Amino acid sequence: MSTAAAEDDLSPTGDAARRRRLVFVVLALALPAALALGVSLGSVSLPPLGVAGSLLAAAGVPLEPAGLDATGETILWSVRLPRVLLAALVGGGLAVVGAALQSLFRNPMADAGLLGVGPGAALGAVVAVSLGWAHEVFLALPLSAFAGAMTAVVTVYLLAHAGGRPSLHGLLLTGLAVSSLAAAGTSMLLVATEEFRVRTVLFWLAGGLEGRGWEHLRLGAAFILTGSALLTALARPLDVLSLGEEEAAALSLPVHATRMGIFTLASLVAGPATALAGSVPFVGLVAPHALRPLVGGLARRLLPASFLAGAVLVVVADLAARTVSERMDLPLGSVTAFVGAPYFLLALRAHEGRR
Amino acid sequence: MRGRDRLFRRAVIGFALVPVLGFGAPGQAPGQRVASLNLTADEILVEILPPGRLVGVTRWADDASMSNVAGRVPAGAFRFPKADLEKLVSLAPDLVVVSEYTDADFLRLLERSGLRHHRMAGLDSLAGQRQALLDLGRAVGEPDAAARLAARQEALLAELARRLEGAPRPRVLYWANPHTAGARTAIGSLIEAAGGENVGRSLGIEGILPLGSERAFVADPDVVLLGRWPGARAALEGEPLLSKLRAVREGRVVEMPTGLLVALSHHAARGCWYLAARLHPDRVPPEPPEAVPTRSVSPDPSAKTPAPSSRR
Repeated sequence: MSTAAAEDDLSPTGDAARRRRLVFVVLALALPAALALGVSLGSVSLPPLGVAGSLLAAAGVPLEPAGLDATGETILWSVRLPRVLLAALVGGGLAVVGAALQSLFRNPMADAGLLGVGPGAALGAVVAVSLGWAHEVFLALPLSAFAGAMTAVVTVYLLAHAGGRPSLHGLLLTGLAVSSLAAAGTSMLLVATEEFRVRTVLFWLAGGLEGRGWEHLRLGAAFILTGSALLTALARPLDVLSLGEEEAAALSLPVHATRMGIFTLASLVAGPATALAGSVPFVGLVAPHALRPLVGGLARRLLPASFLAGAVLVVVADLAARTVSERMDLPLGSVTAFVGAPYFLLALRAHEGRR
Repeated sequence: MRGRDRLFRRAVIGFALVPVLGFGAPGQAPGQRVASLNLTADEILVEILPPGRLVGVTRWADDASMSNVAGRVPAGAFRFPKADLEKLVSLAPDLVVVSEYTDADFLRLLERSGLRHHRMAGLDSLAGQRQALLDLGRAVGEPDAAARLAARQEALLAELARRLEGAPRPRVLYWANPHTAGARTAIGSLIEAAGGENVGRSLGIEGILPLGSERAFVADPDVVLLGRWPGARAALEGEPLLSKLRAVREGRVVEMPTGLLVALSHHAARGCWYLAARLHPDRVPPEPPEAVPTRSVSPDPSAKTPAPSSRR
């Protein structure tokens, strides 16, 4: 599939090129529109013009009359803006990782879950909660979740390399085994954790951005933006890898080193994204999957387009999560799953129908 | 299961907590516009604050199945359906009362939004609940009113202790399938203050943890304590092993109203009385006396100020 897509990409018609440009234009417009909606709507509505005025004033372009009252300014700058920007980062990062891993593994079902990131992060989060760190120490929960994610990834790497250079198949199965171990550890700790603390973990596991501020954004941005940019910079080797390992080796690509580089970068993006937002499923699957027919399978186009689409998807999902119900915030992970799973099933059905 | 969820929810919301972080610093004025994000604080603040100063409570405060102040919350107070920081900012409180299990990242965001918070702490014992009540009273500038509430609570507990003096202590197992309450839990304290022996503590359990039906069966309690929620008793009686417990077979199962079972405010004393009346009907009448003599309680134990009167 990747090979065919790549071949198609290499000989584009004029229509295909125009379509790709159009997709990028739409995504480039959709992201600021989603961000604008995200910062304007919430349990307290902020007037869009006031928001614009406040943002422009912060950028050194004061408008008369000034944007928002003091309460609105506090809500915008302390709560909503960092949350919405973090949603964009998390969505973009997860989508880029999904696109990169799908190319790497030559499997449209691949996403960050293959690396053991999610279960590892969950184990880290449960440790932070059961030991009381999450309630006492600022950033303890996301940092512990990040440490858990990275520990799982390093464990996958070390175990997979224990018997020499692993095949992709070996890497996948090792990731599966480590994920199962981490999930088992999470369950054991949850059972032994004082009942009242468990709720914090449940909220994290369900995914969400409540209570995330500028510090979380800075933490995420450092890894997610850098990692996503480096993954995009590796687009050409990724495209070569998507032709198959033997073909890539014949083209003088250092297959193992490239694969491990992508593996590492994907972990450094997915780890913080998961640590900061909890489980946000389907973004890494749906965004690249939806875009591949539109922009082609070449990583140099698919990865940036996926970043934009993933960002839009999670910003809108987070907006829905906090506005659909007045009684409670819906779990962000449930919203993306409600959108992603049906889409994915429909796409799968269409794919089966074509065969 | 729904019942357990309800207890869980009530306890999470209600469990006030930790060392007093956000108030009490020298020179900090007490909060005048107070918002509460936990039910325990709701129950206390309704008693000690003039209505206009309570600007927000949890939505659980109106839920008669969980709250001991349902129907008494000032109409003007906003009901928080969730811990909504944006709504909180828009209400402009100068003090937000949070729970022990409010995570540290949320608290930092509160501070960043210019909102001071008071965290309630140590609610896993009756003494801790009393101290938390007094601390909250100081934080909102109503130490005397809080001390009066504490004095009423103390008086009721003292009266209970007097009536139970020398009474044999039945062995009581709290059961929330499959969890039980051990040492350092509010429910454990409730059982002991009501003249029972907490089986969970005897088994070496600390906190609220799963026990397992086999251990529960072997423990052979004299009484099983349940929360009163739909299906709780049926689940116990339908459980293959626990249905054969001596206490179950002989009908010694106490179902407590959820609001009293998990009360962590001054209402916990009424919870103790309720259970004691079921464990020791010969010594404790079903309803507590309307007025019991109160001992004075200083709003600030370290200050040794003259005690307030027991009048509300």
